[in-house]
Amino acid sequence: MADLTGPFDTGLASAGPGPFNRLARAQYAALIAMRTRIFANNFRTSAGAFEFGARAISYFIYSLMGFGLGVGAGSVAFSLVSHNHLHSLFLEFWAICILWQAISIALASLQEHFDLGNLLRFPVNFGSFYLLHLIFGLVDVSTLAGGLSCLGLLTGITLARPDLFGATVIALLAFAAFNILLVRAILAWLDRWLAKRRSREIISAVFLLATVSAQLLNPVLREDQPFTHHHHAGGPRTGELRPWVNAVSTAQAWLPPGLASAVVGEADQHDSTAIAASLGILGIFVLGAGGLLGIRLRAEYRGENLGEAPSRSKNEKREAAWHIAGSGPMSAEIEKELRTLFRSMPQLYAVFVPMVMVVIIGSLFRTGATAIAHPFRLAIPICVAYGLLGFTQLIYNNLGAEGKGIQLVFLFPVPLRTVILAKNLFHGALYIFVALVSGVLASLRIGRPDPDVIAATFGWLTFALPANLAAGNVISLTMAYRVNLGRIGRQSGSQANALLSMLIQTTILGIGVGVISLCNIFDRLWLAAPILLALAVVTVLAWLTVLRNVDAMANARRDTLIAKLVKTE
Amino acid sequence: MDQAAIQTHGLARRFGDLIAVENVTLTVTQGQFFGFLGPNGAGKSTTIKMLTGLLEPSAGTIEILGQPFSSTALHLKRQIGVVPEGMALLGRLTATEYLRFVGRMYGLDRATVERRTEELLEFMQLANERRKMVTDFSHGMQKKLALAAAVIHGPKVLFLDEPFEGVDAIAAGMLKTMLQGMIQHGATIFLTTHVLEIVERLCSHVAIIHQGRLVANGSIEALRAGVASILPGAESGQRLTLEEIFLSIVGAGGGEPVQELSWLT
Repeated sequence: MADLTGPFDTGLASAGPGPFNRLARAQYAALIAMRTRIFANNFRTSAGAFEFGARAISYFIYSLMGFGLGVGAGSVAFSLVSHNHLHSLFLEFWAICILWQAISIALASLQEHFDLGNLLRFPVNFGSFYLLHLIFGLVDVSTLAGGLSCLGLLTGITLARPDLFGATVIALLAFAAFNILLVRAILAWLDRWLAKRRSREIISAVFLLATVSAQLLNPVLREDQPFTHHHHAGGPRTGELRPWVNAVSTAQAWLPPGLASAVVGEADQHDSTAIAASLGILGIFVLGAGGLLGIRLRAEYRGENLGEAPSRSKNEKREAAWHIAGSGPMSAEIEKELRTLFRSMPQLYAVFVPMVMVVIIGSLFRTGATAIAHPFRLAIPICVAYGLLGFTQLIYNNLGAEGKGIQLVFLFPVPLRTVILAKNLFHGALYIFVALVSGVLASLRIGRPDPDVIAATFGWLTFALPANLAAGNVISLTMAYRVNLGRIGRQSGSQANALLSMLIQTTILGIGVGVISLCNIFDRLWLAAPILLALAVVTVLAWLTVLRNVDAMANARRDTLIAKLVKTE
Repeated sequence: MDQAAIQTHGLARRFGDLIAVENVTLTVTQGQFFGFLGPNGAGKSTTIKMLTGLLEPSAGTIEILGQPFSSTALHLKRQIGVVPEGMALLGRLTATEYLRFVGRMYGLDRATVERRTEELLEFMQLANERRKMVTDFSHGMQKKLALAAAVIHGPKVLFLDEPFEGVDAIAAGMLKTMLQGMIQHGATIFLTTHVLEIVERLCSHVAIIHQGRLVANGSIEALRAGVASILPGAESGQRLTLEEIFLSIVGAGGGEPVQELSWLT
């Protein structure tokens, strides 16, 4: 048997198990040194410095939003505890929990993804792998928003009742740990499921069912509200649902948000046994979420690679029997884009999840959650605009999915303009389709919009599409980053692109909101469509100008573009 | 005089302060199988990228088939085929879809694309894998597919950057036969590889680049004669291998080489 203790013995090989042994600590130190070097090396190029600046600005904005949530959570908690309504605190815990999970799922495609698979060639033990996965995952919007909300909650409760500080801290720490682990577990499993065809189909079916259920359930629950559009005669009344509501209320008390809020209530009653019991059950949930994540990470640790989808059986028919008409480069490019999109569930997820969220937003407008006495007149354009959020990556990084194939774009005897035009036409068609479906879904929830609102929405779309395509083409050529089609999250080196594309989209949205709101305030909503169509002439001209110059721009940045998209990390 | 398929004059590329390629002037005549050699980091891939329009030269000129070449010379791009470093494959397409896509991008009509795709898949022994996504291919299969894509439009000049890396012996033999067939039909092939035996067997002419500069250029026989005359210890009449020629020209690098690793002895 080979003697491995000779020249290869580093002295740390038998450092013992666990994530904090000597070898693991040495590895953390090496990782910290490596990250520090990468951080410092960022400043060697202007692009790297810009990327860092963009990241700093992004996190500042996220922190402000989180701070706002924290202040809100703190104020509500202060009010509830001051007025001795501790029994209602569970609502806040639930709101934070749902927000925490929903943000991470809704923004999954916009979040940066850290692939720790590269670490597996080193003698990294599973404990360290798990810990590193958690630590790297902490730097995201949901943790920031959820963490600051918890901090706000703690401040609010403590200001109202300083004696509850100790119990609240413990409850919130366990609650936060549960949320962090659950988010990581959901995202890790989602990545896994979306990489497998059968799971993709199951998830799609669950999504569809959930949407339909939400559609059906909501009218039933809101039946007694005064501004119902679709009255279901003979449907169940809220009174009939009371047993269900009571059952849900009881069940929630056994779930983490209910348990965490119960700890605060029990501290108020100085019931240490109950506190210990609630914390114990909460601890079991934390371990459960950690275990769920552990099962997934264990598979990755053993070498499962989700970077690319697992292969199907050898001769399974993969090619759909369809072709785009025409034999030219334009149709070839569109056909390739279509096939690539439909083979990348993460990309489909990014495009279609906002559309599903439209149903929920539509319900908010309908139930008066916006504190407006009747359904908001401009809810439809808002829903349509939201439904289009998923196009950020596709339009603003339209070469990112080419990967190493970017070299082909420069090798083909075809002007880049043709390739970009084909991509724009494909994305534009998809954009219009998603806008239409979002509009229809929103109308089903909110009610049929006025012709003026439809016209204004159409005007905004006509203005926004070429504006997005023009800006998207420029950003795609100047701030491209490689997209891994098998992963949900954004890839590294994409912060500058993300920030700038969001700013541009916000501006485009802001112009639409400004025009439509002003016309609405002056009761001249019919005027919005012609104004936006006039602005659309400008954006169409801008798009055509960008297209005309696309080859020159690409050639000027060819080296960087190829280097960025071909590189593997 | 034979017409030049590739001609460069004073070709150079700098990356900031680093000079990757400097003053490379060479001529590859039509129908030649040309080997472009050099140690790691010598500037081979940088040169091939400039010759195929993937990289802008910092200085110098390139002519392909007698015409000035730049990245915008689309009519010349139709005449060249490339297997670039990294292969430029699209992982989410099947082998068939990828070849169809490339063929159409080179302007072939659909019927021609279909016919050539089938022939290429059969020839490259990829027919049974045609419905697999490229990302599921082994490295060797990806190389074969990249080569198939490079020749689908029948290029007059073919640039190959390490085409035999990771390809098994059977496939390598098949590819060599195909490439020699192309040469017999008048195509020009510009090949970079570290496998010197392949170059010795296939190429009639070679150029050696070292630290960005062209240090040798000519037929293998001429280089052999030149090196034999100056190489100390070379017996008269001894036939030097290309490896010996290469090592004598490029050497083992400056300084005293480290012979052993302290912790492995």
